[in-house]
Amino acid sequence: MSTPPSTEQVTAPGQSTAPAQDGFDELIHAPVRLRVCAALEHAREIEFGALQSLLGISKSALSKHLSALTEAGYVEQRRAVRNSRQRVWLRLTGTGRAAYRGHVAALHRIVGNSPG
Amino acid sequence: METHEPISRDEASAALAAAESSRTLVAWASWPTWYWLATGAGLGAASAAILLPNGWELPAGVVLVALLFAVGRTASRVRGICEGCVSTAMTRRESLILYGPAALLAVGSAFAAKAVWWAPIVIAVLVFVLFAGTGLVLGARAARP
Repeated sequence: MSTPPSTEQVTAPGQSTAPAQDGFDELIHAPVRLRVCAALEHAREIEFGALQSLLGISKSALSKHLSALTEAGYVEQRRAVRNSRQRVWLRLTGTGRAAYRGHVAALHRIVGNSPG
Repeated sequence: METHEPISRDEASAALAAAESSRTLVAWASWPTWYWLATGAGLGAASAAILLPNGWELPAGVVLVALLFAVGRTASRVRGICEGCVSTAMTRRESLILYGPAALLAVGSAFAAKAVWWAPIVIAVLVFVLFAGTGLVLGARAARP
């Protein structure tokens, strides 16, 4: 099961978790999940196998972290069949993008520089 | 007001570096070699279009742009990143490093052609080498663990 989101997070039934006011999001902060979100932030969508190979992690580890992100409403999956093979395409949702950007901004504040 | 910092400055720095490394991978790694070669050849051909007879430059340019777009789309599909679209995660600085020299040379080609007729051919080769070389080198560097 995934790590619960950070303090000050609000979860409405059926809704995704909203990041804390300061933007720091413990769900995203886990190293693999942070790298997944960073990769998805810069591409409209990435195929599961391509993401696995980019990050150099196992299929099961990636699946586990993606489940946590999907459950939180941060990532959505699209299945598509190409050449009789089913592929899973991943993308950040609007909520996920906002949470990731907020988290990165919070990291920049902690480090003491402005983002960008 | 009390500020709540859930992690140390060093940890935040490391997290930002990890995120940046993911962005670099998406921008540069896993492009097929033929993408850099084909795009470099296309840009080289565009810079030599000045040698075409009058009236042929525009249709040739349109065909080249369509071909470059198709190459980018196919390469994205092969990479498994952004199927059906050309996506780039490059920063402005990286884009400038990749496209800047080729663009400058392509513009210079028009002027050089007035001095020596074969200059655009030399420039086309230079554009190809610069673009493909930069892409291949930076792609390999990004993929390095």
